[in-house]
Amino acid sequence: MLIIYCTLYKHDFCNFKNKFEKMKKILISGLIAGVILFIISYGGLFLAIRFFPTLFIEYNGPLFNSDGSRDVLFYMHAFIISLALSWFWDRFKSLFKGHSLLRGLEFGFVYAIIALLPVMWISFSALDITLPIVISWFLYGFVQAIIAGVVFAKINP
Amino acid sequence: MLFKNLTCSFLLLITLTSFISPGYPNASSQIKKWVISENSNLRVNGSTNINTFICEIPSYDQIDTITVNKSNKDVLLSGTINLNVKSFDCHNVIMTHDLRKTLKQDQYPVLHISFLTLNKLPDLTAKAEPVTGWVFIEIAGVRKRFEVNYQISQDNQKIIHLLGSRDVNFSDFNLIPPRKLGGMIKTNDKLSVDFHLKMKSMD
Repeated sequence: MLIIYCTLYKHDFCNFKNKFEKMKKILISGLIAGVILFIISYGGLFLAIRFFPTLFIEYNGPLFNSDGSRDVLFYMHAFIISLALSWFWDRFKSLFKGHSLLRGLEFGFVYAIIALLPVMWISFSALDITLPIVISWFLYGFVQAIIAGVVFAKINP
Repeated sequence: MLFKNLTCSFLLLITLTSFISPGYPNASSQIKKWVISENSNLRVNGSTNINTFICEIPSYDQIDTITVNKSNKDVLLSGTINLNVKSFDCHNVIMTHDLRKTLKQDQYPVLHISFLTLNKLPDLTAKAEPVTGWVFIEIAGVRKRFEVNYQISQDNQKIIHLLGSRDVNFSDFNLIPPRKLGGMIKTNDKLSVDFHLKMKSMD
């Protein structure tokens, strides 16, 4: 049906080649950003735990999964956020102007205000976690989004 | 003829059974009973890659008996202490919860220490005497035999103090130590178990 429709009407919707190219770009830039975020995020976390262990004592809590059953999901986070942000970037990249660093910073700021702030707000209000933990999560996500934004500005300007 | 056969069979039976040691204590054996008092305690020292923790059962809430059987050269023990996993207190609600979860409290609410042997019968003086012995430790349904180092002494009030210590691993009992943040925060496999049994001799 779709093929017949597109053959007859040549609608913009039917430009599969363009759509495929766009999707490919989103996926590739998302995966590249995912690899970079994976290294920076988990490397940073590893070093932070190693050099500032007292900051992480609160993570020894029942709120955090302790049987290792969700480790794969935990390590997939860098790719999940990168692919989601890659799609978001592709849709709204025209709004971010200037140097790639500036575009990345603005992108990170938008993500932090729209997504992180409300989630951190509800987390702090509903969960038994301290303010430093919530702030650290906010900053962690903010930095991740800036890095992803800079990567997207370079790969998919 | 029949009488002769019966006599021979009887003599043969006597001769053969004389080589088998009896299953019950012989005349030279010395049996004592040590009754464990409620003030006994057990402590587990562990560590993670960010901190250390101490979990303890501050006061053993049962009265059990250890039977000490000194035969010719061996000191055989019989008796088991049964520890409720929910009695563990890590002085931190979260750590206590994690330890109980790791020890599978819902499935195996009690862990057992069964005393098997001592390498010698202690003199029971005020000065602590080092002794070693074997025990069975059963945690989460897995039973393992361990050699334990003891310090045994007896105070003025005739209370026997049995201090035991032994390092065990979570993995010895097929247990997975708690881990957080994808294993970036992890509990070390090794645990140091110390216990202090206070007992009265009933001999």
